[in-house]
Amino acid sequence: MNLSEVGDARVNGYLFVLQRSLKTFLPAESVRDAVREIESHVRERIAAAEATPNERDAIERILAELGPPLRVAQAYSAERTIDEAVTTGRFVAIVRAVWHLAVTTVVGFFAALGLFVGYVVSFATLLMAALKPIFPHNVGIQFVNGVPIGPAAEFPVPAAGVDLRGGYWVIPLFAVAGLAGLVLMQWCARRYLAWWRNRI
Amino acid sequence: MSHETWQEQIRRGTLDLAILLSVASGPRYGLAIIQHLEAFTDLVVAEGTIYPILARLTREGLLASTWVEGEAPHPRKYYALTRAGTKRLAEMTAAWREFVKKIDRLMAASEKGRP
Repeated sequence: MNLSEVGDARVNGYLFVLQRSLKTFLPAESVRDAVREIESHVRERIAAAEATPNERDAIERILAELGPPLRVAQAYSAERTIDEAVTTGRFVAIVRAVWHLAVTTVVGFFAALGLFVGYVVSFATLLMAALKPIFPHNVGIQFVNGVPIGPAAEFPVPAAGVDLRGGYWVIPLFAVAGLAGLVLMQWCARRYLAWWRNRI
Repeated sequence: MSHETWQEQIRRGTLDLAILLSVASGPRYGLAIIQHLEAFTDLVVAEGTIYPILARLTREGLLASTWVEGEAPHPRKYYALTRAGTKRLAEMTAAWREFVKKIDRLMAASEKGRP
């Protein structure tokens, strides 16, 4: 089947979307190579196809069998960034994979938001353990009107009605809680990425 | 776990082996690998998802890829097993046969035990 200008534009549009999606996480050389390979696949399928019932339907059938460009890009992402993150468990690889999903999908955005909050809270708790020996009167367990709220650091001094309690014994408590939080977030991130990899 | 999820996990778990088997008899390009898989299995759900796996297997050094121009109107990227790929395929094939044998044995025992 020889393509008309309209058919050619449809194929180029598909490849353009694929290229834009791949560019967000693949090096330029890998993007060129991947798009060239997919284009070769599409052109060869089209050459072997018959324009039945019409060219448009034939092209749409071929592109549907290939999968939407975003799904193909997600599959590349899963194989590259997500696979690396799940198998190695390296923090940088996990951050890269979570970030990629956050900027390309809605679910990924909210999941990244949750993970980000978890990591920040855990890191802040760990930081307070380190700050306690330096600022013994500004770091402790916060009580508001006698109700314990959680670890806190108040600078310069706690506001009225707010009370910071706890001696140096909060250091190991905050350190253990912070580390446990980071380990938990790391575990959640890997589980989330493994779930994502399985659904593509 | 639903039946579909279980089937999907089996499909994902066996795709690497199936792709390596597709090029075991000689180099094949992407579309030829897909057609080979489609002829013998129903492992290919979306054709576009095979290419990222081929790219990963190449990165892992199990496959070697070469662009060939001139044999068709469009350039084709051929994949062939590397030495590491041949070794991995032998290991995977042996593990798969052993796995199937054990599950078959388990099924046979289960059927015998039925009232």
